Amino acid sequence: MKKLSVVLLVLLIASAMFAQGTKESSGFKVYLITMDQMDQHWVNVDKGAQKAASELGGIQYKWLAPDVKDDAKQIEAINNAVAGGANAILLAANGPNAVTAALKEAAGAGVTIVYVDSAANFPAVQTLATDNTAAGTTAGKKMLKELTANGVKSGKIGVISVNSATASTVAREAGFRKAFEGTGFTILETQYCDGDAARSKDMSANFITQGVVGLFGANEGSTVGVGNAIAEAGKRIVGVGFDKSDMILSLIKSGHLLATMAQNPDIMGYEGVKTAYKALKGEKVSPEYFDTGVSVLTKATL
Amino acid sequence: MSRSLRAMESPYIVEMEHITKTFPGVKALDEARFRLKAGEVMALLGENGAGKSTLVKILSGVYTRDSGSISLFGNDIHSDLKPKQAQQLGVSIIHQELNMCSHLTVAQNIFLGHEASHATLLDNRTMRKQAEQVLQSLHIDIDADTIVGDLAVSKQQMVEIAKALQAKAKILIMDEPTSALTSVEINQLFTLIKELKAKGCGIIYISHRLDELQHIVDTVTIMRDGKFILEKPFSEMTMNQIIANMVGREIKEKFPRVHAQKGKKILSVKNLCAGRMVRDVNFDVYEGEILGIAGLMGAGRTETTRAIFGIDPKESGTITLDGKELTIHCPEDAIREGLVLAPEDRKKDGLCTKLSIRENIALPNLDMLCNKLGVVDRKKEDAMVEKVVQDLKIKLAGPEVDASSLSGGNQQKVVVGKWLARNSKVVIFDEPTRGIDVASKVEIYQLMNELKMQGIAVLFVSSEMPEILGFSDRIVVMCDGRITGSLLQEEATQEKILELATRFENKFAL
Amino acid sequence: MSVIKRPLRRILAIRGIAQVLTVTVGLILLCIVFGIMNPIFFSSRNVANLLRQIAPILLIGIGQSYVLITGNIDLSIGSVVGMSTMISATLMTKGVAPFVAVLITIVCCLALGLSNGLLVSFAKLPPFIATLGTMTIARGIAQIANNNYNTDSIGEAAQGFRDLFYYGKTLGLYNTIWIAVLLWLVFNFLLTRTKSGRHIYAIGSNAEAARLSGVNLVSTTTKAYLVSAFVSCVVGLITTATSGMGTMDAGNSYELYAVAASVIGGVSTLGGQGLLFGTVIGASIWGVLQNGLQFAGAPVAIRNIVIGVIVVVSVLLDVIVRSKNVVKKKKSAASM
Repeated sequence: MKKLSVVLLVLLIASAMFAQGTKESSGFKVYLITMDQMDQHWVNVDKGAQKAASELGGIQYKWLAPDVKDDAKQIEAINNAVAGGANAILLAANGPNAVTAALKEAAGAGVTIVYVDSAANFPAVQTLATDNTAAGTTAGKKMLKELTANGVKSGKIGVISVNSATASTVAREAGFRKAFEGTGFTILETQYCDGDAARSKDMSANFITQGVVGLFGANEGSTVGVGNAIAEAGKRIVGVGFDKSDMILSLIKSGHLLATMAQNPDIMGYEGVKTAYKALKGEKVSPEYFDTGVSVLTKATL
Repeated sequence: MSRSLRAMESPYIVEMEHITKTFPGVKALDEARFRLKAGEVMALLGENGAGKSTLVKILSGVYTRDSGSISLFGNDIHSDLKPKQAQQLGVSIIHQELNMCSHLTVAQNIFLGHEASHATLLDNRTMRKQAEQVLQSLHIDIDADTIVGDLAVSKQQMVEIAKALQAKAKILIMDEPTSALTSVEINQLFTLIKELKAKGCGIIYISHRLDELQHIVDTVTIMRDGKFILEKPFSEMTMNQIIANMVGREIKEKFPRVHAQKGKKILSVKNLCAGRMVRDVNFDVYEGEILGIAGLMGAGRTETTRAIFGIDPKESGTITLDGKELTIHCPEDAIREGLVLAPEDRKKDGLCTKLSIRENIALPNLDMLCNKLGVVDRKKEDAMVEKVVQDLKIKLAGPEVDASSLSGGNQQKVVVGKWLARNSKVVIFDEPTRGIDVASKVEIYQLMNELKMQGIAVLFVSSEMPEILGFSDRIVVMCDGRITGSLLQEEATQEKILELATRFENKFAL
Repeated sequence: MSVIKRPLRRILAIRGIAQVLTVTVGLILLCIVFGIMNPIFFSSRNVANLLRQIAPILLIGIGQSYVLITGNIDLSIGSVVGMSTMISATLMTKGVAPFVAVLITIVCCLALGLSNGLLVSFAKLPPFIATLGTMTIARGIAQIANNNYNTDSIGEAAQGFRDLFYYGKTLGLYNTIWIAVLLWLVFNFLLTRTKSGRHIYAIGSNAEAARLSGVNLVSTTTKAYLVSAFVSCVVGLITTATSGMGTMDAGNSYELYAVAASVIGGVSTLGGQGLLFGTVIGASIWGVLQNGLQFAGAPVAIRNIVIGVIVVVSVLLDVIVRSKNVVKKKKSAASM
């Protein structure tokens, strides 16, 4: 009699454990597919996603990425994810139309789609990315604050951007200009440097000759040029830019750049996983567009 | 030791034996041989396609022989001969098509490839001085600093000769040297050739102007179809024999004039003015007649034909064709009215050298070969091309061959041939037989005769006096942009033509 | 011929001198116009900057002019600039001494120049196609040099390098200007006073005539492309010094600016003709336009149109003058 009850008890406990384990392995499979594996940007997205996955629990998380940015390889990754039983995919699409066919198939298989950093032309639960216009305005406000603190209420401001076609930098510039509406400052005609830091430096130097009080760079190359020009001129000019790179950080440290707007890839990953989890649980997800914003990096924050 | 003995024994400075050279589709040289002595002027004669150009290009290193031996000054040349090497051995060639760098000066061209230098720096002063010396020895009145591109073609040729002399040539090859020279310059050239002879140079003289040969030539080598035919002292041959050997048949009459019924006045040129070279030109042409336009180089004959055809703009004057006054702004207008021209520089103006023969022949006739949608009817095209090739006996490997690969004579036939398909009323020929072999010349004459028989008016510009005299029905003579006289064939003589051709306004000496 | 008039006549007879004189006048007028529009243009600060901005254009102009005079073109110039800046910057960020990094970079760029020369003269590829290919290859090398990223800062250790090539001044002028002037003197000398230089003009004028006269086509063509690669390399080094890092996008479209500078300066795109002094003026006009139009507040679109029009007009002038020469030759032939 006693032997029987021990065996039964053991069986009960074993089956309970077994059931527990099964429940564990039946958690949601969430895959992250980025443009490539190398860029620090994606590494940070992954870090943020991992953080959310471990916090939430019940998520089997995996980072799938091609070794280089390549449409065919990204399509393959999506297909692999679907075949591997993904419940949700966090995708940084190579381009708006590059992978829509694969996405159609994934959606047809019941996979939830969330975009991080770059969306595609296909309906998804949510897109988490940097709102470039808002980021530009943040940059502008930062510059305005510094100028006012220095007692400068009016003057000329120069803008160096990449070209007139790239959507992200065009949006940043538009946002920047918005911040100065209604103030006593005039923003001069934008100069385009094609991302070449040396040309940006020349154009910034010309702006400085014209007596600008502030300079704005809309991407990494532009910002480096702005910083170098301010460094050479040795004048008190407020320089604000975009992107995070070794050179830009060192220019901030040396005081030649006031601040740079760095994107928040970790937030994209973190919030992205949270969104996927919510959607898989059947809850409503809003907003459709989640601005992951920019971190304002200054000497103080470094 | 034995080598130099051999050199002293043999009087020949050039010995070529069993030379064979094949180009794709054509065997240019077939066991050809050639010899040249020091102090000898050797005329190298043959029809176009006989292999003369190929032979001398092998000698000067431009082409490499497939087989055979070459010996210069008694030394065998075992490997391929390169241009620079040939130059250093004393071989210089003056090409028929000028080879000057038109952006450089005369002195710079003369020294091109062997510039004088002072420790890697160019020694311009020495080069200019030596260039001037060479030019003076040739009695050429050109400043050594003139940019070659600014010089007339005849002067450029003189510079080429000066360049060869500067390179201390011992074997001088001249390919059609007199084709662009005035009679005065030709005399200068011949004097020079005699001087070079006396110095021990050997000269290979290629020319189709057989009447010039008597002044300077010692020996004659005749080639035909890539083969060596004979080598004989010039004095032992008559002109007829020479021609017979060149073509392989006796040519009875050099200028096959035919009589045709002269029709109405078809073309009337009045008060034509186009710059300095065409000043108040007036003449008429009748159906079924061949009008020869004679004159010296630079008299304005080519310029006149170009003004009529619409290539150059005219300042004033009228052109009336078949009673209708024409407005010609461009060649297209002229062609449409039935007035066509075979230009002087056939390679540059007459042919698209990179296109095939078929394309060249079809080109001005596309309107006749295309349907309403502009699509070319290949059958019609092939038929047209075949007819032209047959009628003119154009020697080629096939109609798809590049026009540039043909010999001069056959090129000229293509140039003329493309107009044949049209119902032209007036055909103008500018130097139609320049640089062309005897047999092809005859064919061109026959073509002109055929046009004449069909009632078409034929104008031709020529610098060959015998041709003008022997072939035209009427002759107009130009001098310095004006028509100085008009002669009927019966009353024309060389002297009369020359007199009219030199009737300059101010009577300054040529 | 009067002995006194001879030198003057010889200067005026130099082919292409007319256009050089014309554009020099144009340059002066342009400067005056910009100066009137915004007097800051003439400030000492701007003049110093302007000269330093012209220097790299002059350098690539020299290279392109050499190649144009031979009758070819070099489309790889901009990519070589990019390649040069990326290789030099990557090496320096990895701790390689600037001097060594510069040498390695020069070797790499010369290798590309050698390839250009051989592809065009030995393999007989059309120069447009050949240099289009090497342009892509060089840009690819620029990208993989630092694994598809722009480089980090080349660091404090390279400050001497940065001053030498860009930030430092000697005798009151920025070093960059001195570099450009010195290299111009050297290359102008080589072009006008040596055999190789003469051969460069010859093969551009009539390659076949030159070849038959014993000029080595392969070595002459290759020399021109080597010069072009070298000056592009120097501009890349200047770029590294300017930015303190390597950007993969550096040098974009520079080959076209080099063509513009050459053509405005009277170098013919058909070969055989052109004065390196003209390239100085052409590069200056280019630099003045970029600089002056920024001060004038001209929108980018207007600037591109203005520059494009000037280039087209320059080429038109070249063609018109050329056809006038043809007519002149016909007339003098007639006067024989």
